[in-house]
This record gives sequence, structure tokens and C-alpha cells, in this order.
Amino acid sequence: MPEPFDQMLPGARSCGGHRGCRIRFEKRGRAKYISHLDLMRAMSRAVRQAGIPLWYTEGFHPHPYLSFPLPLPLGQESLCEAMDLRLEQNMPLTEIREGLNAILPEGLRVLSVAEPWNESGEIHAADYVVGCDFISEARASDWKSRAGELLGAGELRAAKRGKQGRRKIEKEIRLAEYIHRWSLEQNGAGVTLRLRLAAGSAANLNPALLCGALFAGAGEPADWSVTRTALLREDGADWE
Amino acid sequence: MSFKAIEPLLRQVQKPGRYTGGEPGSIDKSAAQNAGELPLRYALCFPDTYEIGMSHLGMKILYGLANSREDCWCERVFAPWTDMEKLMRAGGTALWGLESGEPIAGFDLVGFTLQYEMSYSNILNMLDLAGIPLRAAARGGALAPLVIGGGPCACNPEPLAPFFDLFVLGDGEQAQRELLDLLAAHKKRQSSKAEFLRAAAKLEGVYVPSLYTVTYNRNGLIEAVEPAPGAPARVKKRVVRDLDSCYFPERFVVPLLEVVHDRTVTELFRGCIRGCRFCQAGYLGRPVREKSPAVVDAQCRALCENTGYEEVSLCSLSTSDYSALPELLDGMLDWTLPRKINVSVPSLRIDRFPREMMERLALLRRGGLTFAPEAGSQRLRDVINKNITQEQVLSTARQAFSGGWTSVKLYFMIGLPTETREDIAGIAQLAQAVTDEFYRNPDKPKGKGVTVSLSAASFVPKPFTPFQWEAMDTKEQLDEKQVLLRSHIRSKKISLSCHHADISLLEGVFARGDRRLADVLEAAWRAGARFDGWDDQFKPELWRAAFESRALDPRDYTREREESEILPWDHLNYGVTKAFLLRERARAYRGETTPNCREACAGCGADECRIQGG
Repeated sequence: MPEPFDQMLPGARSCGGHRGCRIRFEKRGRAKYISHLDLMRAMSRAVRQAGIPLWYTEGFHPHPYLSFPLPLPLGQESLCEAMDLRLEQNMPLTEIREGLNAILPEGLRVLSVAEPWNESGEIHAADYVVGCDFISEARASDWKSRAGELLGAGELRAAKRGKQGRRKIEKEIRLAEYIHRWSLEQNGAGVTLRLRLAAGSAANLNPALLCGALFAGAGEPADWSVTRTALLREDGADWE
Repeated sequence: MSFKAIEPLLRQVQKPGRYTGGEPGSIDKSAAQNAGELPLRYALCFPDTYEIGMSHLGMKILYGLANSREDCWCERVFAPWTDMEKLMRAGGTALWGLESGEPIAGFDLVGFTLQYEMSYSNILNMLDLAGIPLRAAARGGALAPLVIGGGPCACNPEPLAPFFDLFVLGDGEQAQRELLDLLAAHKKRQSSKAEFLRAAAKLEGVYVPSLYTVTYNRNGLIEAVEPAPGAPARVKKRVVRDLDSCYFPERFVVPLLEVVHDRTVTELFRGCIRGCRFCQAGYLGRPVREKSPAVVDAQCRALCENTGYEEVSLCSLSTSDYSALPELLDGMLDWTLPRKINVSVPSLRIDRFPREMMERLALLRRGGLTFAPEAGSQRLRDVINKNITQEQVLSTARQAFSGGWTSVKLYFMIGLPTETREDIAGIAQLAQAVTDEFYRNPDKPKGKGVTVSLSAASFVPKPFTPFQWEAMDTKEQLDEKQVLLRSHIRSKKISLSCHHADISLLEGVFARGDRRLADVLEAAWRAGARFDGWDDQFKPELWRAAFESRALDPRDYTREREESEILPWDHLNYGVTKAFLLRERARAYRGETTPNCREACAGCGADECRIQGG
């Protein structure tokens, strides 16, 4: 007989009696150069070191249960990352936060620890801030108007790598289908591009892909950075 | 310079995590630095990639020890990969310490660990990227920066002599402490470099190459090595007598990107009782000194707690020879099992190990089983004093196969002294016998084949071994033997990998090289030599041209040495005497083995050896 479906969902509130726990953290500064795989390893070490009573999977190779609902690409910063754990015993949530913050490397900081409210599959979109710096105010304003035209026309395309079965394929996508909202704002020699992009398991767009296409048409800024600022549900509310 | 300054480079390189620093456990003393309370800045350099350097226990020990002093900030520096080097040169970014992000040219001490001859070009490259003049003589009379080196290759550092101010021979813990003390005092006194070096040469284990003049005769052989007044005629290596009371770090810097050995590690002992005649590490580390099991246990426990690592490795040259291994493992498993920490015991001889203990260690779950018979016939194994018999290999393999293992690695060397074509054929025969053993096993796992990975390294004669006088095979000989070995392999289950003969030969040249090679090294580096130990980076033609430009023939360095010759490292004293090495050489030629140090003392000359019954 198959197991009840709700017990198999990762991140479910109660999982085979093990308490779920969602850690929200930021990844900034030099921590943005920690790749996703390395982040998983670093987090699992930090959790052990902090003495958090992790639940281990059963079987021949027990491993701690850690999951990341929406991995962040290398080189991007975030104010809203999430990591789900399952605990074997209860531990006060504030102790988890303080314990981890005492250990985590510079740039990784736990903001909150709570019981998960939404399923990871409920992530629908994410907000990003792309900060673009230019060598002069004139360049910035020039770029802003060109970028605005390109985004407004909705014709930007990019090659996205994906898989068809086992085969690796590259397909061209229309970026507009993934852009829920955008705005441009100039501040001196800087332009801030705010984006709300499709995110999650159904449709997802890496903002770097959009930036690549945009810079190809409007020119490349002298310096730029990407920060993820929020994860959202389909109804537009914060994913929690 | 700060992190901000290197950030634009990080975006353009592979594995930016190699260069960011800020890992858990890394030491930040910027507050003391800004308050002007840090007299000593120390760059501890590993002349290879971050992933390799961060796996090295010696770096961790010296880093922790130097940073345990309030007057010193020790930072890590690794060789930038070629992509980063290009960007650094294009943008004029000087090599920085990972902890502060500040250029190391302004530091007091720049120390290199000398693990492998093929990393020498990286040392020059790192000095150059730092903006430090390569030659010690060109760095002027000021005390800083002082360029020092230590590690196994310091046993013959002659090819590096002109680039370094001093070398530390032997164990580094006490010598580093004394050097830092001395440096702090001389910095306060505003001494010149020459004053400091004259004082440093009086410390045990410190070799100041500029205080020794080497002259050569017309045949290019060394005529004499003259010490300056006040410098010892022979420099004795440093030995830590008591490992239990010796400093050992309680925490490691835990890398964020995956490195080669990513785990907690401690030594069980230094040195080795075995006396394999090709093995330099075994002779350099004499006498054997063990840590007590309680100390090992406590060190591992503290490290696991402070790092979060899930694996602890007990490392030594021949782990099975640790006298208290069963007691140690029994005690450790009591706390590692509940914490789900894996204990890994490399170079364990499982044929002598209780089955039940193996299962507790979960050894059977591991990927593969490794043997190092080193030579293909019993005759040649006797010559090299490698005491492992074919029957031992086969019986262990049998035991492992019945326990469900399906892969075996076998390590051999080719080019050993007295080697014949039969010895080479014997390598393939032994691999075949292991393969046959698998299929003879009645309870072998169904539907699974066996993989036997055969690795054939080239024998490189090294200083302070009984083979230090031997000729090294030529490129033609090594290539021919590799082809011969391959022709003897009949089974598809056996895969063979051989070392790049050109790399081994260059290693052989520098291992027994003299000071004249410094010019060759510099010429090769100027022509672009980097990461020479990496098959995909090594460029043999650069080195050929470098030798030609200096009118030196590499074959003069790989040739057989006369027993009467002055060897480039004869003024360095590693305890083992030349008389002992000559006796061992003669025994090798007679095919006589020498018992291990616990069975009978062979009179090697190592100081203060405390092995019982010797």
C-alpha cells in the first residue's frame, strides 16, 4: 500500500513525526561565491556543529535531511533564502538561530527560524533587484531608456539549457513569458532594475539570463549585481 | 586592498571560492592590526591550488600555531589558477593573504611549504605575483619580507637556494615558534636581514643557504661546500620528541568549496618502522614517534566538535603499525558511531584486522581496496624491502571479495634498481591473479564484475634513501617499460594508468639537484612553466629549452652517483647516516631484506630513537 501522500512531501509540517523547521537566511558579500553544492555542505556542517538534533534518513547511508526550496545561482546575493530541516527532537527556535549565527561564515546569516507554512511547490515568483553602475549619469540615463524600450517591447529572447529526458538540450525562450513585473529607476550614475520573475518548479528564470539578453541589446554596465529580495506565492503574498 | 578590490576578478574565474577567504575557522585579526598591536604578519603559502593546500595537515598545524600567538597574524596563500593569474597580471593585482585581502609583499614573513618538486615553478610565480623579487640577493638588506621554506623537499633545497632566505629542516612546530620569537626581537631592534640570518643559523634545524658557498670542479661535480664563520658545518634537522605535548590545533579552517581531503585528520605517529628502501618519507621522519591513544582520541573529538566534519581520518605512513590501534579504534567508535561520524583508516592492512572491528568501521562499505606491492616479483620486493607477499595480497583480496568488494587498486613502480623484464611482466601477473581470485570466489556478488586499477608510477631516486645514488631510468626506458607492461595485460577488467615519464624525470632532476638548477627553474618559469605536476599544464618543451639555455644536461642529474661524490645535500643531517644508507644499498643488491625497527634495530643513526627492543 502506498504511503499517504502528505507524509512524503518534503517540507511538510509534520513528516513521519519529525518536526519540520524552516530557516530563512541571507547570503551576501563574499558568501555569494559559495556554490549551491558547497552551501549545502557548509550548512549541514554548521547544523551539526550547532548541536541541532537533526533527523537522519534511514537506510544504508544515513544523511541529514536538508532541503533548499529555491537554489540561488552562484554570484547572486539574497535576503530571503530558505532551508528546510527535520528535527529528531524539539529545540527552541531562537536557539537554532543563535547557534547557527555563531558558526556560519561571513555573509551567511540566519534571519528567522519557524515552522514551515507553505510547501516548497507553492513558490511561484521571486523579486530581484539588479543594481547597474555606469561611468556617468549620461550613460546611465541613456542605458535606462534603451533597456526600458527592450523590456517594453517584450521581444527579448535567450537560450535556456534544459533536459529532454536524459538528453541535454538548448531551447530559445521568450523572456517576457517569465517577467511578471519590471521597473527601472535612475539614481545618479546608477540604474536600479526591479524584477518579479517566475520562480519555482513550474517555471523559473535566472535573472542573469535576462541580464545577459538585456545587456546584449542595451550595452553592459561598468558593474552590476543581482540580489534576490523576496519569494512569493501565486496570490502575490510572501511565501513563508 | 580589500575584498572589494578583488571582487571584479572573482566574477570572471572558475571556482571563485578559492580566493574569497572568510571560511569558518579562519582567523581575522584585523582589529588588532588596525590598533597597531600586530608586530608580525606571516603569509603561509602553499604552492598549489586551494583544494590541494587546504587538504594538507602541516599547513593547518603551522597556521594554528602561528595564530595562537598574540603578536602574529598568519594568513593562507595558495597558487592562483591560470585564469586568475591572467586577470591579476592584466589588472596589476598583487597576491594577497586570504584573511586580510592585503598584499603579502608587505608582510614580515613569507613561508612556503615544499611538498613536491613539481611545485617549484609555482613558488617563483607566487613571489612574482606578490611583487617580491625572486632572488634573495635582490631583496636588499631590510629584514622584511623574509622568504622561508620547510617540508619534505627541504631535505635537498639546493635548486631553490638562491630564492630563499632560510629553510627549516624536519618538524616545523618548535622551529617556527623560535623563528617568530627571533624575528619579533630583531624587528624591534631594527636589525638588518644579515644580522637576523646569522642569528637564525644558530637555531637547530635552520639552514641559511647564503651562508654556504658551493664550488664545482671541471666535471660539474661538487668540489666543496664551505660554511661561513659561525654557521654549522652540517645542519641538523629538527625533531619533535614528544608528540603528545606538541601543539596540535583544536579547530581547522573549514573550506566552503570541496577540497581533496575534506575531513578531520590527525597523525598517529611520525616516521615509519618499515624501511622500504625507495621511500624518502620513511627515512626523513625517523625515528618513529607515536602519539598516545588518549591524545589522538581527544584531538579528534575536539576537531569534530569544532568543525562539524562527519569524517575523521587517522593518518600516518603505515597506520597498521600503530601499537595501540585496536584500543584507539574501540574507544573512538564509542563516540563516533552515535554521532554518525565515519572513521577512516588509510593504509590499513586488513588481513591482520579483526573482522568485527572492520564491520564497525564500516570499511566494507567503502569504494575500494588499495594495495601497494610496488614491485611485480618477490625478488624485486626484497630488493626494495617492501615486505608484502603475493599470498598476502591474494588472501586479503579474497577476504574483501567475499565481503562484497568489487574494486581493487594496485600501486606499482617501474624503473626500480635491478628491475628486469620479468619483474614488469610480474606486475601484470599479480593483477591477473587478483582478478582470477574474484571469479574463483563462490559468493561473489551476482551480476557484478571486478575492476582492478593498476597504477604504475616511475621510480624516482630521492635523497636520504639507500637508493640516493641510483641511476634513474631514461625517458626511453620508462616509455618502453610502460609499453611492455601494457602488452602483458590480457584482461579487460584491468585498467592501467602510468605516470607521465617527463614529469617523473623532472622530479628526479630536482630531487637530487644542485644550486645550478635555480637558473633553469627561473628560465622555465619565465617561459611560462606553471603547475608542472598537473598533466594538463606541464609543458616539457619549456623545460628542455630552459636546460639548453643554461647549458645543463638533465641526464647529469638522473645519472648514477659515485659513492665517493659529495652529494648536494651532504651538509644537511637528517639523522640517518651515510654508512647506514650504504649498508642498506649493499643489502638491496644482495636481495636481503632488513627487519622493521621493532624487530631489530638496523642502526640507522636517527637520534634518540626510543623503540623498544631495538
